[in-house]
Amino acid sequence: MLKLFKLLGNKRLFILLMGLILFIAIMGFTLGPRANLSWPEKFVKDTVGFVQSIFYKPTSYIAGLIHDLSNLRALQEENESLKIALAHYTRDKAIYNRIEQENARLTDLLDFTEAQKNQYNYTYRIAQVVSVNNDPINRTIKVNLGSKDGVKEGYAVISAEGLVGTVSRVSNFTSTVKLLTTMDAKDPNSNGISATAQGKENQVFGVVETFDPDKGMFLMNKIDDPSTIAIDDTIVSSGVGGAFPRGMVIGKVKDIQVGEYGMTYTAYIEPAASFMDWKELIVVYTPEVLE
Amino acid sequence: MRNRRKHVLILLLFVLFIVEGTVVPWLIPGAWQTRIVPHLSYIAILFITVYDNRHSGLVLGLLFGLLQDVVYYGSIIGAYSFAMGLSSYLLGLVFRSPRAPLPLMMIVVIIGSLLLDSILFGTYSLFELTHQPYTWALMNHIIPNVFVHFVFALAIYVPLRRQLELITKHRSSQSQA
Repeated sequence: MLKLFKLLGNKRLFILLMGLILFIAIMGFTLGPRANLSWPEKFVKDTVGFVQSIFYKPTSYIAGLIHDLSNLRALQEENESLKIALAHYTRDKAIYNRIEQENARLTDLLDFTEAQKNQYNYTYRIAQVVSVNNDPINRTIKVNLGSKDGVKEGYAVISAEGLVGTVSRVSNFTSTVKLLTTMDAKDPNSNGISATAQGKENQVFGVVETFDPDKGMFLMNKIDDPSTIAIDDTIVSSGVGGAFPRGMVIGKVKDIQVGEYGMTYTAYIEPAASFMDWKELIVVYTPEVLE
Repeated sequence: MRNRRKHVLILLLFVLFIVEGTVVPWLIPGAWQTRIVPHLSYIAILFITVYDNRHSGLVLGLLFGLLQDVVYYGSIIGAYSFAMGLSSYLLGLVFRSPRAPLPLMMIVVIIGSLLLDSILFGTYSLFELTHQPYTWALMNHIIPNVFVHFVFALAIYVPLRRQLELITKHRSSQSQA
């Protein structure tokens, strides 16, 4: 016992233990959702973000140039497929315009409130990536839109290919994006995304809530009826629940299996976004919900 | 005059930190981007903790870890700060010698790299941010990181050691006078 006291009398050990307690307290406090960042955090984030953007832009430009030069041959193929996509687009545009007008007329007839009409009226804003943290477990990227631009926690962030992540922390001029690859159903702070298949929005329902780092695929759980969903279906967010915008492309179904408890089915989804070589991302502003 | 050298060194650490998040991801090929996550400033701090003293190693580790935590705040603050501070202090405690030769320094870098990533993984497991086994982390990113850190340490060994020697020599001559 006396020996123990002597050991505790050691100042260095005492400081070490205090430090340990302090750190665990800090980690516990900062884990999970927080209403606002404190001003020192915001200040450090914004100033470092500014310096990072000076470094990131030229690097991405040079790397992109090299990449483009080596991909020159693929350009013709890409051009061809884009032409086909454009033809599809012009055809669909006519149909879309008619349906949209009809929809507006019907919502008027049915006396939708202003909030209901604007519910799916998203604003898209382009954000430049400022820096990347590739930590395998806590992967984040930083973009140069902040609370001064109206970004709020929980907004969806997409790239040209598909859904990338959600805004996790916002400071004045920058915000941190938590990538979808950190999703984990066992983590109480990670929210699933309700999802459906494109073109079968009324039949398929599931929740994308886990990323499997071994396979590099998302797991879409809680699918009731596996006959409605097929391999190569494009999975999009369904917007059920209201918090998350609908129609964001998540990926393609690669495999369907019986789920954890044998009651429901799980689909394996290959991500649409590449999750590498970040340049520009798009932040999806969801309209304000009045309470 | 020599004190300015020290400030320049800290500024260089900051530049290394910036480079980690902006330039390095572009240099790593796509498939390896989540598996190689070099902590360049941490390796430089290991040099300081061995050739200078462990207390500056501890303070710098805490500071730059905190910077990393705050700037890339995804789900937790304090993981990097704790891991970098603790491991650089411990390594300084065990290996501190101003005359450490190259092989010893490389061993320190390898142990330090393993220690940092292991403490980080332990913290993440403790707070249930990951449910993978440790062997997965070892194969996935901890061992590839060791190689990258080793190469980086070899690259900065000569210039950084010379600067650190100048700083410590200046300090000892000052204390004698």
